Amino acid sequence: MAQRLSRRAFLELGAVSLAVAGVPAVARGQGGVIRLGTLTPLTGNGGNYGPSMLKAMQWVAGEINAAGGVRGRKIQLVSEDDQTNPEAGVRAARKLIDLDKVAAIMGTWASAVTTAVAPLCWESRTFLTTVSGSDTITLLPHQGYLVRTQPNTQLQGKKFAEFMAAQGSKRVAILAVQAPFALPTQKVVGEELKKHGSELVAAVVYDKDKTTYRSEIDQVLKDKPDMIYLNGYTADVTVVLKDLYKAGYTGAKIAQAYAVNQKLLSALPPEVTEGTWTIAPSPSIESSAYKRLAQALGNDDLDPYSCQTHDHISLVALAIAHAKGEATGTGIRDHVRKISQGGGARVDSAAEGLKLLAQGKEINFDGASGPCDFNEIGDILDTKFRYEQAEKGRFKLLKIG
Amino acid sequence: MPREIAQLVLNGLMAGTILAVPAIGFTAIYAVLRFPNFAIASHLTIGAFAGWLANVSLGLPAALAVGVAFAAAGVAGVVSDELILKPLRPAGALTTAIAAVALTLVLENVIRFVFGNDLRGYALPIRRDWQVAGLRIAPQQVQNFGLAVVAMAAVFLFLAFTRTGKAMRAVADNPTLASVKGIDTDRVARLTTFVAMGLAGVGGMLVGLDTSIDPLTGFRVILSVFAAAVVGGLGSIPGAVVGALTIGIGEELSLLVLAPAYRTVVGFAAIMFVLTLRPRGIFGERAY
Repeated sequence: MAQRLSRRAFLELGAVSLAVAGVPAVARGQGGVIRLGTLTPLTGNGGNYGPSMLKAMQWVAGEINAAGGVRGRKIQLVSEDDQTNPEAGVRAARKLIDLDKVAAIMGTWASAVTTAVAPLCWESRTFLTTVSGSDTITLLPHQGYLVRTQPNTQLQGKKFAEFMAAQGSKRVAILAVQAPFALPTQKVVGEELKKHGSELVAAVVYDKDKTTYRSEIDQVLKDKPDMIYLNGYTADVTVVLKDLYKAGYTGAKIAQAYAVNQKLLSALPPEVTEGTWTIAPSPSIESSAYKRLAQALGNDDLDPYSCQTHDHISLVALAIAHAKGEATGTGIRDHVRKISQGGGARVDSAAEGLKLLAQGKEINFDGASGPCDFNEIGDILDTKFRYEQAEKGRFKLLKIG
Repeated sequence: MPREIAQLVLNGLMAGTILAVPAIGFTAIYAVLRFPNFAIASHLTIGAFAGWLANVSLGLPAALAVGVAFAAAGVAGVVSDELILKPLRPAGALTTAIAAVALTLVLENVIRFVFGNDLRGYALPIRRDWQVAGLRIAPQQVQNFGLAVVAMAAVFLFLAFTRTGKAMRAVADNPTLASVKGIDTDRVARLTTFVAMGLAGVGGMLVGLDTSIDPLTGFRVILSVFAAAVVGGLGSIPGAVVGALTIGIGEELSLLVLAPAYRTVVGFAAIMFVLTLRPRGIFGERAY
């Protein structure tokens, strides 16, 4: 016998569901665990960095939870792999947003992935923290739902141009991988070089999945550069460096430190990499946040991205605490600058910051990556750079400044 | 300008020859088993890593390590085919091809699990290029070219003059008739897979000798391998060689008019062009 729903029961049920649906998201965002998503490149071209970036966040989450959580609530990390691939990144982000209902997604690395994932985040009011450097990212209409700890292409391009000119290079060439940062970097480097009396004589953008770049190199060498800026990723820069050596190029070389890293130096004979300069946004290696993280990860030479993701999760947790426990993207957006900058007490650990916030004090978080102060579109205001040079297969530190 | 073109053709010839080795493997599997086996991508990588282990850990010279690459990729190919692809073949070529894509991703991740994501280089000295008549050519390229030519010659001799090679051609030509005539088609299928995946392994190592290797090595070149096989005529071994050279040289010559970032387009434009004008490929499929 079928049981029919009486009109009264139907009305009651309907009223209850409406009431539940009507409860503001704020209230639903309180109580229970706080879910935060990590989206790092565990595989693909960024696979050298993603695992360590994730470990840094897991360590901070563990520290926060051990100290009692964020206003009594534990942090639960949901981790996905973006495969350094925009399509995979979007799929993973959808899962994090739709299924796991995370308040923030942290750690996207490749600019192409961040650009693809960002619209999903601002449309769903999920906060996004990234280490991507492409200028276009903070220019997206993200309504404040995005901050990045990596200096943008403008700032980096300027530092590269200044350094190359300071080395006395008059004729600079750029060999860049096809990526969102390729053309903006080329433009800013060209403009800045001119200011210092040098010149950009050739610029070639190449496809990343090639087994040889001999012809591209011939194109660049035709213009007789005395300095070549290798603006690519590790896999392709490895091939380019080999091919440059074979081509008999003896001039200066400079690259992003994420491309020419210790792993690359170990994989290539020293004569191929000898003298290559690298520039990278430097973590704040003197800070106690850096030292603690280095000890926790068992590595005294942390890459900048792991330091940055350490700061991402710290900022997110502190912003949620400052928003009186409102674990939503909007809550984080509205409060992140209130704990990252300003006149509050300086802290460099999330646990310590949470303690001060609980006492009703204002704080200013400075992390393992640097001061973490953001402008209105989410770019960091300042960071240090690290200059190194390859010497017999090892890096020699020139300066940090 | 003529010198520039000559240099581009030379570069393309070198790249194309290396591409031809896995393309022969791809097309041979298609000829005998009638499905595009995209798992060849991970077998390129397996060969590259096996050759790397032989070269770096055992200290074998590159020419011998290539043999290890061949054997390792061949064995891996036969095992994965027996376990995964063979049971699916009755379900049709499309199902098997899709399973092959899945298989290649699984194998790629197995390699990643064992070796990690780091780049690895072979223990080879890197030498400056030779300058011949104003053209640049690398000693390593010449060696790779030689190895590729030897591998291809061995395949041709095997197919043309040995009993097993003739059996393979017979199965490719008409499996039913071959079976009626008493040829063990299962054995031929296994042997084809072994040789084809072995060639893929050699190709992977040749690519790695000039660059460096990581779990994505095979994935990076599989589209070009596929393009080479299709342009030459799927199922035709000389076609795979001609297709690979066409793609290799075509990609280089495109630099005269296109920015390098668009180089990959050439292979696919060639596929569309060939499929439109001559759907069977340059050589058609029954040519050996």
